[in-house]
Amino acid sequence: MSDEYPSLLRSERMSLVQLFVPTEVAHDTVHELGELGDVQFKDLNPSVNPFQRSFVGEIRRIDDMSRRTRFFSSQIDKEKDVVPVRALYDCPPVITVGPRAAQTVDELDTALAQYEVKLTKLNESYATLSERARELTEARYVLRETAVFFDKAQGQTSNIRSSFDDSATPLLTSHDDREGGYSTGSSFDLEFVAGTIERSRVPTFERVLWRVLRGNLYMNHTDIAEPFVDPSSGDETRKNVFIIFAHGDVLLAKIRKVAESMGATIFPIDANADKRADALREVETRLEDLQTVLYNTGVSRRSELVRVRESLRVWEDVVKKEKMIYETLNLFNYDVRRKTLIAEAWVPTRDLTKIQLALRHATEESGTSVPPILHELQTSKTPPTFHRTNKFTEGFQAIMDSYGVSAYQEINPGLFAVVTFPFLFAVMFGDIGHGFIILFAALYMILREKTLAKQDNGEIIGQYFFGRYIILLMGAFSVYTGFLYNDIFSKTLHLFHSGWTFADNETKGTYNGNTYPFGLDPGWHGATNALVFTNSYKMKMSIVLGVIHMTFALCLQVPNHIRFKRKSDLYTNFIPQMLFLQSIFGYLVLCILYKWTVDWSTSPVSPPSLLNMLISMFLEPGKVDPEKQLYKGQGFVQVVLLGIAGVCVPWLLITKPYLAWRETRKTTAQGYEAHDFGDIVIHQVIHTIEFCLGCISHTASYLRLWALSLAHAQLSEVLWDMTLDGRTDPKSVAGWVGLVIMGTMWFSLTVGILCVMEGLSAFLHALRLHWVEGNSKHFEGGGHQFAPLDFASEGKEA
Amino acid sequence: MEALFFNIDNGFMEGVVRGYKSGILTQNQYANLAQCETLEDFRTQLSATDYGGFLANEPLPLSTSTIQDKATQILVDQFNYLRSNAVEPLNKFLEYITYSYMIDNIILLITGTLHERDTHELLERCHPLGVFDSMPALCVATTVEELYQSVLVETPLAPYFRDCLSANDLDDLNIEIIRNTVYKAYLEDFYHFCTSLGQPTTDVMQRILAFEADRRTVNITINSFNTELSKEQRAKLFPTIGRLWPEGNNQLAKADEIDQVRAACENVSEYRTFFTDVQSGGHTNGNGNLDELAAATQLEDRFFRMEVFLNKQAFLQQFQYGVFFSYIKLKEQEIRNITWIAECIAQDAKDRIQDFIPIF
Repeated sequence: MSDEYPSLLRSERMSLVQLFVPTEVAHDTVHELGELGDVQFKDLNPSVNPFQRSFVGEIRRIDDMSRRTRFFSSQIDKEKDVVPVRALYDCPPVITVGPRAAQTVDELDTALAQYEVKLTKLNESYATLSERARELTEARYVLRETAVFFDKAQGQTSNIRSSFDDSATPLLTSHDDREGGYSTGSSFDLEFVAGTIERSRVPTFERVLWRVLRGNLYMNHTDIAEPFVDPSSGDETRKNVFIIFAHGDVLLAKIRKVAESMGATIFPIDANADKRADALREVETRLEDLQTVLYNTGVSRRSELVRVRESLRVWEDVVKKEKMIYETLNLFNYDVRRKTLIAEAWVPTRDLTKIQLALRHATEESGTSVPPILHELQTSKTPPTFHRTNKFTEGFQAIMDSYGVSAYQEINPGLFAVVTFPFLFAVMFGDIGHGFIILFAALYMILREKTLAKQDNGEIIGQYFFGRYIILLMGAFSVYTGFLYNDIFSKTLHLFHSGWTFADNETKGTYNGNTYPFGLDPGWHGATNALVFTNSYKMKMSIVLGVIHMTFALCLQVPNHIRFKRKSDLYTNFIPQMLFLQSIFGYLVLCILYKWTVDWSTSPVSPPSLLNMLISMFLEPGKVDPEKQLYKGQGFVQVVLLGIAGVCVPWLLITKPYLAWRETRKTTAQGYEAHDFGDIVIHQVIHTIEFCLGCISHTASYLRLWALSLAHAQLSEVLWDMTLDGRTDPKSVAGWVGLVIMGTMWFSLTVGILCVMEGLSAFLHALRLHWVEGNSKHFEGGGHQFAPLDFASEGKEA
Repeated sequence: MEALFFNIDNGFMEGVVRGYKSGILTQNQYANLAQCETLEDFRTQLSATDYGGFLANEPLPLSTSTIQDKATQILVDQFNYLRSNAVEPLNKFLEYITYSYMIDNIILLITGTLHERDTHELLERCHPLGVFDSMPALCVATTVEELYQSVLVETPLAPYFRDCLSANDLDDLNIEIIRNTVYKAYLEDFYHFCTSLGQPTTDVMQRILAFEADRRTVNITINSFNTELSKEQRAKLFPTIGRLWPEGNNQLAKADEIDQVRAACENVSEYRTFFTDVQSGGHTNGNGNLDELAAATQLEDRFFRMEVFLNKQAFLQQFQYGVFFSYIKLKEQEIRNITWIAECIAQDAKDRIQDFIPIF
């Protein structure tokens, strides 16, 4: 295989390179490589603490800058009238490379600091002003509410007066004192405390006061309708006005203390109505003035924010990039004279020239003449696994990578998954109608790809969007299998001449000589033995597909053995495994195919059960009942096959350990230390058991293809019967209404249950068939993913 | 049997708390923290741990109190999360944990009011886990009776205070007596509550609470040397649980000097080591006062170590509530450690930076 052209068959060839970067171009070099996104740097000082590395100072500075940008964006978020932030691609870029780079960053730093100082100052003054405004508003409320309260009390004077004579309790006396004072309009001898308190605290406040004063108080409170908004946090608090009457200085002092410690604000309110009115007027005017000032501050704060938002995204971008650059630089080593930085990195061998170009470009940009030097290192370390994907293969590769990252240069199952995955899915999902629904959904996502990719789709839609090409293929394949099953929303298509004719009122069809050229004959639809037929057909088909899939997966071992120079594995592992699989299940598949080709209606013997044949092949080797014989000489063939399979087990079990043992003996004879032989034995024993048992259970596992496809077909049929059956030809208005209602119900259930839920379930089963049944035959795994320094992908994640 | 059904109600909670526990700083991380030169380094270093960016939005320069507040806030958030997800009886158990903070807050407020401190400042210094609604009203009270009638009667702590209503004047000594009586009542109540929860919670919690009780007993004894507190009064303050009870408590009630305390603790093998070099304190040299102070701090330190040890042991058993209690205590110790290290860095007292109590 050639390395000239990128392919998904194997992961990219990687090279370990060493870079000597002069200190003055280090920043620009890393920037350039980060834009390129093709280089994975190794940590050359793993033992050094993060804060003892070379560029901690810079990182700290960047951190502070990023704190400032976060502060700005939180300020912008809090602003009540939305301040739209200009998107990154609209802004003029800030250049942070080249000779003026340091200066640009310095300028940015000071600019950020200045904006922060300005904003904080404005915020502070805004906060103090609104605090004062809040106090005044509260005062106004207290004044108003107490006025209302007093007015009401005045109206009730006569009532209370009359009760005064009967009562002897001190509380009521004091009540009356107050009322007396009022009604005469003279000075007011019952003192009171008025103020505001948070609404949630009112009950506690009341309770505590009642206990502290032993009930010697009269308290009234009313809600303030409008909430108070804290300008810095934006939280709303709701408050109540309270007024408490009590007698005696000690009690009043206690009330004040309790009120203050509960966070209430107390306002001095005069008992005299005129003075209260004066105070109210004064408060109103002051409040008005304050409101104007507050408004102006708000406007200037907003204009500041508007200026910030112009370039906020660019700043965030620059800060993020700078941070990544310095974190990467921290992975580098200084040479002895501290003039150059030494870096080691994994790069795809194919891209070496591209990287050289980038390095040269970086040198030119920074305006120096000393270029970074790159040279390749010889290494025995395992390089990272890097599959170069595009937007089409990305999804399929992700499916395989989530099972395990394949070893370096191993055959990549992700490539084959592009076809096998949607196909196995479609076997379970086969329906023309449902297939078209998901096909169109995928097409929609693909056609609007550019717009959808830009916006934030949320977690669930985002996942579907990521897998849009998988869905596209799944849809297309489902349409194909739908034609094979001749299933469209549980109905059939009658495209060609059916092979069966049904006479009027006959349930038994007669063969008319036609052969339906493609897919299932529609004559089967609605037949009483339709289920028996499709079950047998689909079950056999899933075994056939399963054995083909496993055989193919097994064959993928071969290029791996050749590539990794383990030729002996070909005949210690691959050949016995292949023989074992084929002599049992390959034979079963052949029998299935043969049985399909025979016209049993004209045969002298009845069709034999293949399941029983397979069982008796193990239980009574060599003996075949002539009544149940599939072909001549069947007994002999089966004994031979069983013998081959039987030989394969010890072959698989022993040869590899034996070769290893011989190797060990040779090396020890030469005086080298012996390898751990036990490990190989145990590994091979486990491998043999796993494979032999796996063959049986995995074949059975492919029956899920049949089970899911059956369930899907039955479910869609049930849905049709429950909703639309018999309603498709309405005769009256009620019939039409029923059709519309049932039709919508049918469609939404079709999409919700049959396409989404059933689709997900079929997806999961297809996934399992690839991960367990397919991958266990050849996949080695244990690689580590190539993780290059890449500004673009980081930006996407953030 | 209890293990069979434990996970129905508490499996998630235990999982969460064990997850939290694995975020507790390790020896290695402490070593890194202790190497920091400035508080900014300290912040960078902490951001690599489970604390993450908890200080990221704090403007420079940092102060140790911000670090402590923010760290405590994390603990409080975690605790509130646990509490809001808990069902009975775990809910009740978690509530019991807050009682000790409530007692501390009450005593703090009373003492503060006695010394005429600013109420708001006092309220800010209260531990957030022990805050309750009517707490601010505490500063109005001048006698215990009033205190009880006006505020405490509606808190869950009311039964604990019933025993100390006889003390009329609020002065420093009485407050101290109140604190210890209340705490004794609390410990005993908690102990009995844990007993009612059945094995293995009982087992784990009794071990921890018994130690807590013993620690208080020893501390009360040592602190009451040469004070006005009479021996009968002292004996009344000892919790009636713990491994020293009853003989050890009787001996401690009669003790006059630290040697007698040591003798009383001899009977419990784990406590024997606490006094190994403390004993020589008062006798050998002239300035015994200073030595006794050093001995007391050393003793305190060992108590803390023992507490950490016991709390760590609680995590060895599954299907019990002890992990919740232990996690809170360990995290508290961790916050104390972080604050200590930060304080040492801020004051440039590098030689004492290692004096924290490592947890894992």
